Amino acid sequence: MDVIRTENLTKIYPRHIGRAHGRSLDSLTLTVGANEVFGFLGRNGAGKTTTIKILCSLLRQTSGTAEVMGQPARSRAARRQIGYLPENPYFYEYLTPRETLEFYGRLHGLSRQERDGEWQKLSEMLDLRDIADQRVRGFSKGMRQRLGFAVALVGNPHLLILDEPMSGLDPLGRRMVRELILRLRDEGKAVFFSSHVLGDVEQICDRVGILVQGKLVDQGAIATLLRREVQRVEVIIEGLEESAIASLAAGAESHRISEAGCHFMMGDLDTANALAEQAIRAGGRLVEFSPVKERLEDYFMRRQITAEAAS
Amino acid sequence: MRTLAIARNTFREAVRDKVLYVLLFFAAAAIIGSKALGWVSMGQDIKIIKDISLASISVFGVLIAIFVGTSLVYKEIDKRTIYTIVCCPIHRYEFVLGKYFGLSALLGVVVLVMTGVAAVYVLVMGGELHGVFFLAALLIYAQLLLITAFAVLLSSLTSPILGAIIVFCIFVLGHAVEILRDLPPQLEGTTAASVLATAYYVVPNLTNFDIKAQAANGVAVDPGYVAWVLLYGLVYTAGVLVFAALAFEDKDV
Repeated sequence: MDVIRTENLTKIYPRHIGRAHGRSLDSLTLTVGANEVFGFLGRNGAGKTTTIKILCSLLRQTSGTAEVMGQPARSRAARRQIGYLPENPYFYEYLTPRETLEFYGRLHGLSRQERDGEWQKLSEMLDLRDIADQRVRGFSKGMRQRLGFAVALVGNPHLLILDEPMSGLDPLGRRMVRELILRLRDEGKAVFFSSHVLGDVEQICDRVGILVQGKLVDQGAIATLLRREVQRVEVIIEGLEESAIASLAAGAESHRISEAGCHFMMGDLDTANALAEQAIRAGGRLVEFSPVKERLEDYFMRRQITAEAAS
Repeated sequence: MRTLAIARNTFREAVRDKVLYVLLFFAAAAIIGSKALGWVSMGQDIKIIKDISLASISVFGVLIAIFVGTSLVYKEIDKRTIYTIVCCPIHRYEFVLGKYFGLSALLGVVVLVMTGVAAVYVLVMGGELHGVFFLAALLIYAQLLLITAFAVLLSSLTSPILGAIIVFCIFVLGHAVEILRDLPPQLEGTTAASVLATAYYVVPNLTNFDIKAQAANGVAVDPGYVAWVLLYGLVYTAGVLVFAALAFEDKDV
């Protein structure tokens, strides 16, 4: 069974004073499977947060359907299966992490024993023990994010919906989030998250969807979406005379000189191999030979430009 | 349990609201200061102390209900704390009721403390206390519960400032329903007359809750009347809360 299924999901914000009404989401149809990490990509204002808010019952769609585990997303049965981490999570500043989890445990209808069990499990998983009795008011971004994950995991939901979970985190924090998402997938959960950090998305997602101006322009496994052929090849040679560099550069797409040597950018593997052989014959030494394939960022830019041009 | 959890949290939050302490300070000052008015009204000082004490409980209670109540739901949306709450498996009406009961509990404590202070002050000043004094405080609390329901309704619909103005208007009109009913003849047939006539039927008659004069003079009040007013307040409050829950049910947050 699909964990998330939307069909023709559309959201049009009503006209308000000083704000034009707008179609934020336009006939979004997507599916997220069980035990899958799904990256939801798009520029600011593309409709990612609107989709997430509809799935989490914060917004009501103008038309279309949104289901979680086969139930309407707005139903309580669906919300029992959802753990939600908003972008920059906000909690009651005067509560401590222990009190915060106690509060959300009550909202999930957990008994005292179950709430204690949740605290034991989540405080250990997210390293909250040292800050258990400190007020949230003084927390750093990373500490808030850890608490946000703990809140999202109260009640052991099947699906985690994360809105920009890496936003504003330092490299260690981002790594923590990546590892946590993979760990949750290993535990059998599905993770649906939006992010601008495409490098992280490429590392951990099974599938991605790209939203452009409220429309889903692509969805699928990363491996099938990206171009498989080599896009270009970077060849680095050291110890070349200036005259040899000039001669080799004539056959390259571009070149530059750094401390590592001379970098030649070649269009394909054949010309790159030929250049490397010529360079060695001219007395140079091959330092690096790197075929470059399309990355998610390249793909995202390509689809973005195509879709925006089409609209 | 879910409503209770939200109510407990609302209570804790409201206790931290600085507005509460400013209003409580002025309320206490008004009760203590009532002695000054007693001096200028020959032989009436205890009556004046009782009257002003109950009026202070009513006015400052209403101000707390309006200023804290009209920001209850709005603040949760503005600070985005509502995001992770509404996503939990709760009914939206449980959230609205939780906010309402949290503030109602706080007002209960406020009325209890202020009534206690006023009662002790009356006794210290050599006065005598009758049951009707406490019945008056009870009806003030019932009135506050009704005003709080309006505040929570407006908090689901609009900004705290506009909400506070509207609830204050309801409070003022609620004490002037007799005027609304007996309009001067020159207004007959005008739009103003139909608006005011509608207001007469929509706005609760808050004068029903006012037995301060009897309490100040130690005149007994029929318990049947008190029970009827409590029932009137309960039904009206429940009705307003239904509207508040409906207003929040489909609200985009």
